[in-house]
Amino acid sequence: MFKKNTVAAGVAAFATIALATGCAVAEGNKSDEVDITAMSAEELAEYIIFESDSFRLEQEAQEGGTARDRMVQDDLQKACSFEGEPDGETAGEVVAMARAEYEAPEGDIELGDWEKGQELAFSGYGYRIGHNNDDHGTREPGGNCVNCHVFDPEGPTQGTIGPSLEGYGATRGDSQEMREYVHQVISNPHQFFPCAQMPRFQGLLDEEQISHIMAYMLDPDSPVNN
Amino acid sequence: MFKKALLALPVAMALGGLAAGGAAQASEWQDPTDVLQKLLDNNPDSKYLHQSEQNIMMMPDNPALWVAEDGEQLFYEERGPNNASLESCDFGKGPGVLEGAYVELPRYFEDTGKVMDFEHRLVHCMKEIQGFDADDPEVAQRHGNDTDVMQLTTYIAMQSSGMEWQPANEHPKEQAMLAAGEKLFFRRGGAMDFNCASCHGESGKRVRASRLPKMRDSQEWTKAVSWPAHRAGHDNVRSQGHRIRGCAWQMRHAGIKPDSMANTALIAFWNEAARGEPAVLPDLKR
Repeated sequence: MFKKNTVAAGVAAFATIALATGCAVAEGNKSDEVDITAMSAEELAEYIIFESDSFRLEQEAQEGGTARDRMVQDDLQKACSFEGEPDGETAGEVVAMARAEYEAPEGDIELGDWEKGQELAFSGYGYRIGHNNDDHGTREPGGNCVNCHVFDPEGPTQGTIGPSLEGYGATRGDSQEMREYVHQVISNPHQFFPCAQMPRFQGLLDEEQISHIMAYMLDPDSPVNN
Repeated sequence: MFKKALLALPVAMALGGLAAGGAAQASEWQDPTDVLQKLLDNNPDSKYLHQSEQNIMMMPDNPALWVAEDGEQLFYEERGPNNASLESCDFGKGPGVLEGAYVELPRYFEDTGKVMDFEHRLVHCMKEIQGFDADDPEVAQRHGNDTDVMQLTTYIAMQSSGMEWQPANEHPKEQAMLAAGEKLFFRRGGAMDFNCASCHGESGKRVRASRLPKMRDSQEWTKAVSWPAHRAGHDNVRSQGHRIRGCAWQMRHAGIKPDSMANTALIAFWNEAARGEPAVLPDLKR
């Protein structure tokens, strides 16, 4: 409901959000209505998320549906909700789930524009909801890539949660096989790294955006490779 | 004069703590600058603790100290529809007992039948004792140096500086909330599959330019959960609740509400993970 406004309406909408923020406390805290000591930790966590008025579950999510839908775990998220590294059995199951989910592009994979890919890699915009909602109608979602990966040490400080990708294409080449592999990892990294911290970008970014980010990694002219 | 007032404040509080004496405290009040300095000295290799030299340099002039002074006035002032001060508010150690109260929360409160985190309890007292309505700005506005909630939080939390985190975990409901908080910490979900451990599972990692604390490193984690802290990038004192809200937002989960079970369960687990380590209150962060 806050999308597609003029600037003036946007200001009004912002004021509405600010007001809603002020009042958005959990009035319906129902901890006294159920016996929380009778539940397992997992049951209580699920109860807290979906029944205790802890989250703004009725908000619209950018991917469609509501925040409530977003908080429902899929099988892969469930399988990866533990502390530490996956055991062998879990790893195998997660790889199988990820392969089943992945949609390969038809035909040869073409690289997009590395400059657009660089912009997307540095953009942290998109999919945030709550006290402040990202509006995909005014700005496209980014890849958040540099939150976790170093691509180009010359650029602004980049994150280290994931491996460095400096010189990625220069050291690995730009064959069709490499493109297929990179597309698979960006789209659904669990195919190779079960329970990796990285998001599954198939569905979050469109295929054109993914092709730009791949160009940033693989194009010989990209600063990543120079 | 500016400097003198800042130095006088913690000294007065230390003396106050000694005078109150007697209570079975795990540790005594310490100036937050000293607490942080000891953490830095004990952990020369922690990239998180050592990420900013300015941090320790600015601690004696922490702008949060002024916010605490405002909070002290508010605490003793008779206000609200009931024209009452907060001196009869029980934060778990008896009415009006502030020393050491903050580091023992969340806890179960008999009068509400709920496990409550600090902010939830504070707002409960402002409503019940002072008569504020949920929509009144005094309790509805939670963020920023000029809100009553942040000023009171900073003042009251400061009475626990240097004391060890020891959130209550005797009552079955406290144990249940703590266990649920741990599940929530590791529960992957949202649009990008993140859990809290995505960023707080390892030491020395960075998200962009920010060094991240590891939850299982209690000396990094005690600083991480030591809110209220003046957050330099925001030029405001921020709370534990503000940090959790920001994390949920960045994780692309649903927006989390204050005074909620999820907020309390997560804070219970946060503070438990820092158990036995001294709190830096108020802290200063980038």
